[in-house]
Amino acid sequence: MSAQRHPAVTSTAATAARLETIAGRLLAWGTRLALLFILVGVVGMAVKGIDPLGGRSFPPYSLVAIPGQIARLQPEGFIWAGMTLLVALPVGRVTVSGAGFLAAHDRRLALVSVLVLLVIVSSVIAALGLQG
Amino acid sequence: MITGLVLAGGGVLAGLFGSLLGLGGGVLIVPLLTLGFGLPLRESVSVSLVSVIVTSSAGASVYLRKHVANLRLGMVLELFSASGALVGGLIAFLLSEQVLAGLFAALLLWMSGTMLHRAMGSPASASPAVAEPGPDSEAEPSFTDTLAGPGYRVHRLPLGMAGSVFAGLVSALLGVGGGIVKVPTMNVLMGVPLRVATATSNMMIGITATSSAVIYLLRGQIDPFVAGPTAIGVFVGATLGSRVAHRVNTRLLQVLFVIVLLYTAVEMVQKALAS
Repeated sequence: MSAQRHPAVTSTAATAARLETIAGRLLAWGTRLALLFILVGVVGMAVKGIDPLGGRSFPPYSLVAIPGQIARLQPEGFIWAGMTLLVALPVGRVTVSGAGFLAAHDRRLALVSVLVLLVIVSSVIAALGLQG
Repeated sequence: MITGLVLAGGGVLAGLFGSLLGLGGGVLIVPLLTLGFGLPLRESVSVSLVSVIVTSSAGASVYLRKHVANLRLGMVLELFSASGALVGGLIAFLLSEQVLAGLFAALLLWMSGTMLHRAMGSPASASPAVAEPGPDSEAEPSFTDTLAGPGYRVHRLPLGMAGSVFAGLVSALLGVGGGIVKVPTMNVLMGVPLRVATATSNMMIGITATSSAVIYLLRGQIDPFVAGPTAIGVFVGATLGSRVAHRVNTRLLQVLFVIVLLYTAVEMVQKALAS
Protein backbone atom coordinates (compact mmCIF):
# COMPACT_ATOMS: atom_id res chain seq x y z
CA MET A 1 0.00 0.00 0.00
CA SER A 2 2.62 2.51 0.99
CA ALA A 3 4.88 3.37 -1.88
CA GLN A 4 8.36 4.61 -0.99
CA ARG A 5 8.57 8.34 -0.73
CA HIS A 6 10.86 10.30 -3.02
CA PRO A 7 14.18 11.13 -1.26
CA ALA A 8 13.52 14.85 -1.71
CA VAL A 9 10.20 14.51 0.13
CA THR A 10 11.82 12.47 2.92
CA SER A 11 14.59 15.04 3.32
CA THR A 12 12.16 17.99 3.50
CA ALA A 13 10.02 16.11 6.02
CA ALA A 14 13.06 15.56 8.26
CA THR A 15 13.94 19.26 8.06
CA ALA A 16 10.37 20.22 8.92
CA ALA A 17 10.35 17.86 11.93
CA ARG A 18 13.51 19.49 13.35
CA LEU A 19 12.12 22.95 12.78
CA GLU A 20 8.78 22.01 14.34
CA THR A 21 10.58 21.10 17.58
CA ILE A 22 12.57 24.34 17.64
CA ALA A 23 9.55 26.50 16.74
CA GLY A 24 7.43 24.67 19.34
CA ARG A 25 9.95 25.41 22.09
CA LEU A 26 10.20 29.05 21.04
CA LEU A 27 6.43 29.47 21.24
CA ALA A 28 6.17 27.63 24.57
CA TRP A 29 8.79 29.70 26.39
CA GLY A 30 7.82 32.93 24.66
CA THR A 31 4.16 32.55 25.62
CA ARG A 32 5.08 31.89 29.25
CA LEU A 33 7.30 34.97 29.39
CA ALA A 34 4.70 37.16 27.67
CA LEU A 35 1.96 36.01 30.03
CA LEU A 36 4.24 36.61 33.01
CA PHE A 37 4.70 40.24 31.93
CA ILE A 38 0.95 40.64 31.42
CA LEU A 39 0.20 39.01 34.78
CA VAL A 40 2.58 41.40 36.56
CA GLY A 41 0.79 44.26 34.81
CA VAL A 42 -2.65 42.97 35.83
CA VAL A 43 -1.51 42.59 39.45
CA GLY A 44 -0.17 46.14 39.22
CA MET A 45 -3.59 47.29 38.00
CA ALA A 46 -5.20 45.72 41.06
CA VAL A 47 -2.63 47.27 43.42
CA LYS A 48 -3.09 50.73 41.89
CA GLY A 49 -6.89 50.34 41.81
CA ILE A 50 -7.18 50.81 38.05
CA ASP A 51 -10.71 50.16 36.79
CA PRO A 52 -10.39 48.80 33.21
CA LEU A 53 -13.64 50.37 32.10
CA GLY A 54 -13.49 53.38 34.40
CA GLY A 55 -12.52 56.40 32.36
CA ARG A 56 -12.57 54.77 28.93
CA SER A 57 -9.24 56.36 28.16
CA PHE A 58 -6.09 54.33 28.18
CA PRO A 59 -2.37 54.96 27.71
CA PRO A 60 -1.39 54.72 24.04
CA TYR A 61 1.05 52.07 22.85
CA SER A 62 4.60 53.25 22.36
CA LEU A 63 7.41 50.76 21.97
CA VAL A 64 10.12 53.17 23.04
CA ALA A 65 8.18 54.18 26.16
CA ILE A 66 7.89 50.62 27.50
CA PRO A 67 11.27 50.40 29.31
CA GLY A 68 10.60 53.70 31.12
CA GLN A 69 7.09 52.58 32.09
CA ILE A 70 8.49 49.33 33.48
CA ALA A 71 11.22 51.20 35.36
CA ARG A 72 8.49 53.35 36.96
CA LEU A 73 6.49 50.17 37.73
CA GLN A 74 3.55 51.38 35.64
CA PRO A 75 1.18 48.44 34.95
CA GLU A 76 0.64 49.39 31.32
CA GLY A 77 4.39 49.03 30.66
CA PHE A 78 4.33 45.37 31.70
CA ILE A 79 1.16 44.67 29.73
CA TRP A 80 2.52 46.39 26.61
CA ALA A 81 5.80 44.44 26.97
CA GLY A 82 3.85 41.17 27.19
CA MET A 83 1.73 42.08 24.19
CA THR A 84 4.73 43.13 22.14
CA LEU A 85 6.30 39.77 22.91
CA LEU A 86 3.06 37.98 22.03
CA VAL A 87 2.87 39.68 18.64
CA ALA A 88 6.56 38.96 18.05
CA LEU A 89 6.22 35.24 18.80
CA PRO A 90 4.55 34.10 15.57
CA VAL A 91 6.96 36.35 13.67
CA GLY A 92 9.86 34.68 15.51
CA ARG A 93 8.46 31.27 14.64
CA VAL A 94 8.35 32.18 10.94
CA THR A 95 11.86 33.67 11.09
CA VAL A 96 13.32 30.58 12.77
CA SER A 97 11.55 28.31 10.28
CA GLY A 98 12.69 30.40 7.33
CA ALA A 99 16.32 30.31 8.51
CA GLY A 100 16.03 26.55 8.98
CA PHE A 101 14.62 26.02 5.51
CA LEU A 102 17.38 28.18 4.05
CA ALA A 103 20.04 26.17 5.90
CA ALA A 104 18.48 23.00 4.49
CA HIS A 105 18.63 24.52 0.97
CA ASP A 106 14.85 24.49 0.73
CA ARG A 107 14.69 27.78 -1.14
CA ARG A 108 10.98 27.68 -1.91
CA LEU A 109 9.90 27.45 1.73
CA ALA A 110 12.58 29.98 2.73
CA LEU A 111 11.08 32.36 0.15
CA VAL A 112 7.59 31.73 1.53
CA SER A 113 8.89 32.65 5.02
CA VAL A 114 10.36 35.90 3.70
CA LEU A 115 7.07 36.73 1.99
CA VAL A 116 5.12 36.10 5.22
CA LEU A 117 7.49 38.45 7.05
CA LEU A 118 7.01 41.04 4.30
CA VAL A 119 3.25 40.91 4.87
CA ILE A 120 3.81 41.63 8.57
CA VAL A 121 6.17 44.50 7.71
CA SER A 122 3.48 45.81 5.33
CA SER A 123 0.99 45.72 8.22
CA VAL A 124 3.35 47.84 10.33
CA ILE A 125 3.92 50.31 7.48
CA ALA A 126 0.19 50.49 6.76
CA ALA A 127 -0.61 51.12 10.45
CA LEU A 128 2.07 53.81 10.72
CA GLY A 129 0.83 55.37 7.49
CA LEU A 130 -2.73 55.46 8.80
CA GLN A 131 -1.48 57.06 12.02
CA GLY A 132 0.17 59.84 10.07
CA MET B 1 -10.58 45.90 40.55
CA ILE B 2 -13.95 44.09 40.38
CA THR B 3 -14.23 44.86 36.66
CA GLY B 4 -10.77 43.40 36.11
CA LEU B 5 -11.81 40.18 37.83
CA VAL B 6 -15.04 40.02 35.82
CA LEU B 7 -13.06 40.51 32.60
CA ALA B 8 -10.63 37.77 33.60
CA GLY B 9 -13.59 35.54 34.56
CA GLY B 10 -15.20 36.17 31.18
CA GLY B 11 -11.89 35.31 29.55
CA VAL B 12 -11.72 32.05 31.53
CA LEU B 13 -15.22 31.07 30.31
CA ALA B 14 -14.43 32.03 26.71
CA GLY B 15 -11.17 30.08 26.79
CA LEU B 16 -12.77 27.09 28.51
CA PHE B 17 -15.73 26.77 26.15
CA GLY B 18 -13.60 27.63 23.13
CA SER B 19 -11.20 24.86 24.05
CA LEU B 20 -13.96 22.30 24.77
CA LEU B 21 -15.75 23.06 21.52
CA GLY B 22 -12.69 23.40 19.32
CA LEU B 23 -13.21 27.12 18.73
CA GLY B 24 -10.97 30.07 19.42
CA GLY B 25 -12.10 32.27 22.27
CA GLY B 26 -12.72 35.18 19.90
CA VAL B 27 -16.25 34.27 18.98
CA LEU B 28 -17.20 34.61 22.66
CA ILE B 29 -14.96 37.49 23.71
CA VAL B 30 -16.25 39.95 21.13
CA PRO B 31 -19.94 39.61 22.18
CA LEU B 32 -18.91 39.55 25.86
CA LEU B 33 -17.06 42.85 25.61
CA THR B 34 -19.50 44.48 23.21
CA LEU B 35 -22.84 43.36 24.60
CA GLY B 36 -21.74 42.71 28.19
CA PHE B 37 -19.42 45.63 28.85
CA GLY B 38 -20.55 48.09 26.20
CA LEU B 39 -17.17 48.40 24.51
CA PRO B 40 -17.09 49.58 20.88
CA LEU B 41 -17.06 46.59 18.56
CA ARG B 42 -13.75 47.53 16.94
CA GLU B 43 -12.07 47.73 20.35
CA SER B 44 -13.53 44.35 21.32
CA VAL B 45 -12.18 42.86 18.10
CA SER B 46 -8.70 44.18 18.91
CA VAL B 47 -8.76 42.72 22.44
CA SER B 48 -10.02 39.44 21.05
CA LEU B 49 -7.14 39.28 18.57
CA VAL B 50 -4.64 39.46 21.45
CA SER B 51 -6.39 36.54 23.17
CA VAL B 52 -6.44 34.62 19.90
CA ILE B 53 -2.64 34.99 19.63
CA VAL B 54 -2.26 33.70 23.21
CA THR B 55 -4.32 30.56 22.58
CA SER B 56 -2.72 29.97 19.19
CA SER B 57 0.86 30.27 20.48
CA ALA B 58 0.17 28.09 23.51
CA GLY B 59 -1.63 25.43 21.45
CA ALA B 60 0.77 25.52 18.51
CA SER B 61 3.77 25.03 20.80
CA VAL B 62 2.33 21.66 21.84
CA TYR B 63 1.15 20.63 18.36
CA LEU B 64 4.53 21.48 16.80
CA ARG B 65 6.56 19.59 19.39
CA LYS B 66 4.29 16.56 18.96
CA HIS B 67 4.63 16.90 15.16
CA VAL B 68 0.87 17.00 14.64
CA ALA B 69 0.84 20.32 12.79
CA ASN B 70 2.12 20.40 9.20
CA LEU B 71 4.65 23.25 9.35
CA ARG B 72 5.31 23.34 5.59
CA LEU B 73 1.66 23.43 4.57
CA GLY B 74 0.87 25.90 7.34
CA MET B 75 3.60 28.29 6.22
CA VAL B 76 2.39 28.28 2.63
CA LEU B 77 -1.23 28.88 3.60
CA GLU B 78 -0.45 31.49 6.25
CA LEU B 79 1.13 33.66 3.58
CA PHE B 80 -2.38 33.96 2.14
CA SER B 81 -4.25 34.19 5.45
CA ALA B 82 -1.85 36.91 6.63
CA SER B 83 -2.42 38.83 3.38
CA GLY B 84 -6.18 38.55 3.90
CA ALA B 85 -5.76 39.74 7.49
CA LEU B 86 -3.71 42.73 6.36
CA VAL B 87 -6.47 43.79 3.97
CA GLY B 88 -9.16 43.02 6.59
CA GLY B 89 -7.33 45.05 9.25
CA LEU B 90 -7.38 48.06 6.95
CA ILE B 91 -10.99 47.57 5.80
CA ALA B 92 -12.13 47.28 9.43
CA PHE B 93 -11.45 50.99 9.95
CA LEU B 94 -13.60 51.91 6.95
CA LEU B 95 -16.67 49.95 8.04
CA SER B 96 -19.24 51.25 10.50
CA GLU B 97 -19.94 49.50 13.80
CA GLN B 98 -23.35 48.50 12.44
CA VAL B 99 -21.85 46.74 9.42
CA LEU B 100 -19.32 44.94 11.64
CA ALA B 101 -22.11 43.86 14.01
CA GLY B 102 -24.11 42.55 11.03
CA LEU B 103 -21.09 40.61 9.77
CA PHE B 104 -20.51 39.19 13.24
CA ALA B 105 -24.15 38.09 13.46
CA ALA B 106 -23.72 36.30 10.11
CA LEU B 107 -20.60 34.57 11.44
CA LEU B 108 -22.46 33.43 14.55
CA LEU B 109 -25.30 32.01 12.46
CA TRP B 110 -22.81 30.19 10.26
CA MET B 111 -21.05 28.76 13.34
CA SER B 112 -24.39 27.71 14.85
CA GLY B 113 -25.20 25.77 11.69
CA THR B 114 -21.77 24.14 11.59
CA MET B 115 -21.93 23.19 15.26
CA LEU B 116 -25.45 21.83 15.03
CA HIS B 117 -24.35 19.75 12.07
CA ARG B 118 -21.46 18.40 14.13
CA ALA B 119 -23.63 17.76 17.17
CA MET B 120 -26.08 15.76 15.07
CA GLY B 121 -23.15 13.59 13.99
CA SER B 122 -23.57 14.35 10.31
CA PRO B 123 -21.05 12.40 8.27
CA ALA B 124 -20.46 15.43 6.05
CA SER B 125 -18.70 17.15 8.93
CA ALA B 126 -16.33 14.27 9.40
CA SER B 127 -13.04 14.05 7.63
CA PRO B 128 -13.27 12.80 4.07
CA ALA B 129 -9.53 12.44 4.01
CA VAL B 130 -8.48 8.93 3.17
CA ALA B 131 -5.03 7.68 4.02
CA GLU B 132 -3.07 7.48 0.86
CA PRO B 133 0.58 6.96 0.08
CA GLY B 134 2.91 9.89 -0.38
CA PRO B 135 4.53 10.63 -3.73
CA ASP B 136 6.26 7.58 -5.18
CA SER B 137 10.01 7.33 -5.34
CA GLU B 138 10.22 7.40 -9.14
CA ALA B 139 8.68 10.73 -10.06
CA GLU B 140 10.25 14.09 -9.25
CA PRO B 141 7.98 15.56 -6.54
CA SER B 142 6.00 18.69 -7.30
CA PHE B 143 5.83 21.55 -4.80
CA THR B 144 2.45 20.29 -3.61
CA ASP B 145 3.96 16.82 -3.07
CA THR B 146 6.53 18.28 -0.67
CA LEU B 147 3.68 19.59 1.51
CA ALA B 148 2.33 16.07 2.14
CA GLY B 149 2.42 14.46 5.56
CA PRO B 150 2.59 10.89 6.80
CA GLY B 151 -0.24 8.95 5.14
CA TYR B 152 -1.83 11.80 3.22
CA ARG B 153 -1.26 14.04 0.23
CA VAL B 154 -2.36 17.62 -0.24
CA HIS B 155 -4.90 18.38 -2.96
CA ARG B 156 -6.34 21.55 -4.50
CA LEU B 157 -3.67 23.92 -3.16
CA PRO B 158 -5.08 26.96 -5.05
CA LEU B 159 -8.46 26.44 -3.36
CA GLY B 160 -6.70 26.23 0.00
CA MET B 161 -4.92 29.52 -0.76
CA ALA B 162 -8.23 31.21 -1.63
CA GLY B 163 -9.86 29.83 1.54
CA SER B 164 -6.93 31.13 3.59
CA VAL B 165 -7.31 34.67 2.22
CA PHE B 166 -10.99 34.57 3.21
CA ALA B 167 -10.10 33.21 6.66
CA GLY B 168 -7.66 36.09 7.15
CA LEU B 169 -10.30 38.65 6.18
CA VAL B 170 -12.83 37.14 8.61
CA SER B 171 -10.22 37.04 11.38
CA ALA B 172 -9.18 40.68 11.03
CA LEU B 173 -12.69 42.06 10.66
CA LEU B 174 -14.32 40.09 13.45
CA GLY B 175 -11.48 39.28 15.88
CA VAL B 176 -11.72 35.52 15.56
CA GLY B 177 -8.96 33.06 14.72
CA GLY B 178 -10.49 32.01 11.43
CA GLY B 179 -10.24 28.30 12.23
CA ILE B 180 -13.92 27.97 11.31
CA VAL B 181 -12.81 28.58 7.69
CA LYS B 182 -9.30 27.10 7.74
CA VAL B 183 -10.13 23.70 9.20
CA PRO B 184 -12.90 22.79 6.70
CA THR B 185 -10.80 24.20 3.85
CA MET B 186 -7.85 21.95 4.69
CA ASN B 187 -9.92 18.95 5.72
CA VAL B 188 -12.75 18.88 3.19
CA LEU B 189 -11.18 20.61 0.19
CA MET B 190 -7.52 19.68 0.52
CA GLY B 191 -7.81 16.18 1.97
CA VAL B 192 -5.76 16.87 5.11
CA PRO B 193 -6.79 14.67 8.09
CA LEU B 194 -8.97 16.55 10.59
CA ARG B 195 -6.46 16.31 13.46
CA VAL B 196 -3.64 17.70 11.31
CA ALA B 197 -5.93 20.38 9.84
CA THR B 198 -6.97 21.52 13.34
CA ALA B 199 -3.36 21.64 14.59
CA THR B 200 -2.08 23.39 11.45
CA SER B 201 -4.94 25.91 11.59
CA ASN B 202 -4.08 26.62 15.23
CA MET B 203 -0.48 27.33 14.27
CA MET B 204 -1.50 29.58 11.35
CA ILE B 205 -3.90 31.60 13.48
CA GLY B 206 -0.98 33.22 15.33
CA ILE B 207 0.48 34.86 12.25
CA THR B 208 -2.98 35.66 10.82
CA ALA B 209 -4.02 37.45 14.00
CA THR B 210 -0.63 39.16 14.28
CA SER B 211 -1.00 40.72 10.81
CA SER B 212 -4.10 42.61 11.89
CA ALA B 213 -3.29 42.95 15.62
CA VAL B 214 -0.23 45.02 14.67
CA ILE B 215 -2.53 47.47 12.86
CA TYR B 216 -4.91 47.74 15.83
CA LEU B 217 -1.96 48.05 18.26
CA LEU B 218 -0.14 50.79 16.38
CA ARG B 219 -3.39 52.67 15.74
CA GLY B 220 -4.02 52.81 19.50
CA GLN B 221 -7.12 50.61 19.39
CA ILE B 222 -6.02 48.12 22.05
CA ASP B 223 -6.82 48.97 25.68
CA PRO B 224 -4.10 47.31 27.81
CA PHE B 225 -6.31 47.39 30.91
CA VAL B 226 -9.02 45.38 29.15
CA ALA B 227 -6.77 43.17 27.03
CA GLY B 228 -4.46 42.19 29.94
CA PRO B 229 -7.01 40.56 32.30
CA THR B 230 -8.93 39.07 29.35
CA ALA B 231 -5.81 37.45 27.85
CA ILE B 232 -4.80 35.94 31.20
CA GLY B 233 -8.34 34.61 31.68
CA VAL B 234 -8.49 33.10 28.20
CA PHE B 235 -5.16 31.34 28.73
CA VAL B 236 -6.30 29.87 32.06
CA GLY B 237 -9.64 28.78 30.56
CA ALA B 238 -8.08 27.23 27.45
CA THR B 239 -5.53 25.34 29.57
CA LEU B 240 -8.29 24.07 31.85
CA GLY B 241 -10.43 23.10 28.87
CA SER B 242 -7.70 21.01 27.28
CA ARG B 243 -7.33 19.07 30.56
CA VAL B 244 -11.03 18.33 31.15
CA ALA B 245 -12.12 17.91 27.52
CA HIS B 246 -12.13 14.11 27.69
CA ARG B 247 -14.47 14.13 30.72
CA VAL B 248 -17.12 16.40 29.25
CA ASN B 249 -20.14 15.44 27.12
CA THR B 250 -19.31 17.78 24.27
CA ARG B 251 -22.43 16.89 22.25
CA LEU B 252 -24.73 18.32 24.92
CA LEU B 253 -22.40 21.27 25.29
CA GLN B 254 -22.55 21.89 21.53
CA VAL B 255 -26.36 21.99 21.53
CA LEU B 256 -26.38 24.41 24.48
CA PHE B 257 -23.73 26.48 22.80
CA VAL B 258 -25.77 26.73 19.60
CA ILE B 259 -28.56 28.32 21.67
CA VAL B 260 -26.10 30.83 23.13
CA LEU B 261 -24.72 31.62 19.66
CA LEU B 262 -28.20 32.14 18.23
CA TYR B 263 -29.18 34.42 21.12
CA THR B 264 -25.95 36.40 20.63
CA ALA B 265 -26.61 36.59 16.89
CA VAL B 266 -30.04 38.14 17.56
CA GLU B 267 -28.44 40.69 19.92
CA MET B 268 -25.84 41.53 17.29
CA VAL B 269 -28.52 41.97 14.63
CA GLN B 270 -30.32 44.39 16.96
CA LYS B 271 -27.05 46.28 17.41
CA ALA B 272 -26.55 46.33 13.64
CA LEU B 273 -30.03 47.73 13.09
CA ALA B 274 -29.71 50.32 15.85
CA SER B 275 -29.12 53.80 14.49
